[in-house]
Amino acid sequence: MIATCDADGVPNITYLSQIFLLEDDRVALSCQFFNKTKKNVLVNPVATTQIYDPLTFDAYRVVIKYSHEEREGKLFEGMSRRIDAIATHSGMAGVFRLLSADVYDVVSVENVAGFKRPGDLPSVPQQPSAVQYRSEMSGLQHVSQRISRARDLEELYACTVEALEEGLGFENSMILLPDETGSRLYAIAGRGYGESGVGAEVGLGEGLIGTVARERCILRVAGVGAELRYGRAIRTSVQRATGLRGLRPEIPLPGLVDAQSQMALPLVANDRLVGVIAVESKKTAAFQEWHEAFLDIIANQIASAIENMTLREKDEKDEEPAVPLPPRSEPAPPSKCEAPALKLRFFKSDDCVFAADEYLVRNVPGRILWKILRELTARGRTEFTNREFRLDPALGLPAIRDNLESRLVLLRKRLEQKCPQIALVPTARGRFRVDVTAPLELEESA
Amino acid sequence: MAALIPDDLAELFEGGVSILVGTRDAGLVAEATRGVGAVVHPDRRRLTVFLPVSVSDRAIANLGDNGSLAVGFSSMLDHRTLQVKGKVEAIRDATEAEREIVSRYHAAFGEVLFIVGIPRVISRALNVWPCHAVTFEATDIFLQTPGPNAGERISA
Repeated sequence: MIATCDADGVPNITYLSQIFLLEDDRVALSCQFFNKTKKNVLVNPVATTQIYDPLTFDAYRVVIKYSHEEREGKLFEGMSRRIDAIATHSGMAGVFRLLSADVYDVVSVENVAGFKRPGDLPSVPQQPSAVQYRSEMSGLQHVSQRISRARDLEELYACTVEALEEGLGFENSMILLPDETGSRLYAIAGRGYGESGVGAEVGLGEGLIGTVARERCILRVAGVGAELRYGRAIRTSVQRATGLRGLRPEIPLPGLVDAQSQMALPLVANDRLVGVIAVESKKTAAFQEWHEAFLDIIANQIASAIENMTLREKDEKDEEPAVPLPPRSEPAPPSKCEAPALKLRFFKSDDCVFAADEYLVRNVPGRILWKILRELTARGRTEFTNREFRLDPALGLPAIRDNLESRLVLLRKRLEQKCPQIALVPTARGRFRVDVTAPLELEESA
Repeated sequence: MAALIPDDLAELFEGGVSILVGTRDAGLVAEATRGVGAVVHPDRRRLTVFLPVSVSDRAIANLGDNGSLAVGFSSMLDHRTLQVKGKVEAIRDATEAEREIVSRYHAAFGEVLFIVGIPRVISRALNVWPCHAVTFEATDIFLQTPGPNAGERISA
């Protein structure tokens, strides 16, 4: 909370939404609306705040003196990104935004003695000591080694999220890649999300992950629940004040519905966004500054690995068979299994494939799957090569950096999760086989 | 003229909301103190707010100097917030009968804190007794829920 006083001696008290430590003797407060607090400090600059440790609820009285405001520049942009990330979740992008970053000098700091009764309280994890840092460095080393041993993209994605949990304790993590339009990201690997991880989508600029992708910045939020409640309060206020019904919809969190801490980093190689890595936790303030630094090191390594493997795919094009493998001389014998027929529908308007009336996959992976299924049912083909997909203009793969391997990884995983009757089995570099354990009924719609 | 506190606000003020008390000294330096309960008087124009003795020395000194205060009532679940401004009428020790009011507030606030992620063992450790009982007449009530209308005066 922050208490101020106007020139006539009338005090004002309100909640602080955001306070950032700049240096040991300077803090920045976010100003989203020009309110009484701002009016007061412009005429009477000294304010008293009370802030609380999110884990122990210890209280600190911090007296500050208004210095100046910033409406552009690094500080403003950094604070603005955090607010934008939360605002999009509440459908408040553009409404709830940072007006200024208000810089204050710190006059004094003291623990509010007597705020809590002394006694036995649960211990709180302290900042890592030198001994703990050595342990965490070992964890970082473990993650780095696992990543460096990955032989292909699928292994890279899988071992990264596994190693992040094994080495650094990140129980919930995901890696997202941009789709072919660059306007959305899709999760290619996840840990701690069960079946809902792979394939989850986030729009560029939406939420924490979308903001990190658009701005190519690192973002860390310690109290996601509190931030979302704040955003929703503003949404309700706007609706009541304006009667607007056409506000943008709220965007659900892509991972944990009850995440309290989130951190996301861009994966950038050769000045190009190749993806985002995100971690989250149900615990408040789960991630510290040193987590950010460690994950940044990992992110750089992952980005380089993705870039190198993607470029290697391009170089290996010449090694792939020049023409598609010929179909069998006769159609494949009908499946002898007694599984019920699996109905698959392809919607041409958005390249969506549904399996048994449930969404399966779309866009490039959708078009790839439909091509495979049509070849399978019409001509009995079960063997395919990456090169034939690259050469097929109907699939719409970009000529450069088509990320075909990543798209096949996504398709393979979505089939494992949602449609196990169809499996894509790698048989050699650049080749795979389709195994089907149920009769298929294909239908195309507009 | 004193502001009239409507029923719904009276209910909010006496519930398990976050109570923030702002005062100022002779040099116009503001002070922030957390309250641990409030009662709306039957005349719907006066309130009594309870401040723990352990943390309110500065606030009490300020009120003794000039009597001006601002009390914010904020629901931590949806950030619905109102600020009541006024002039203090009386400061005294809270009575044993009022201890029950403070205990009820402490329990209710603790449940709200639990919902937003603060364990009950932490909220139970808040120092809430003994208290000063500060009675004041409300002169203005302002809407303070985050949003474009924050700062709007609620008419009496």
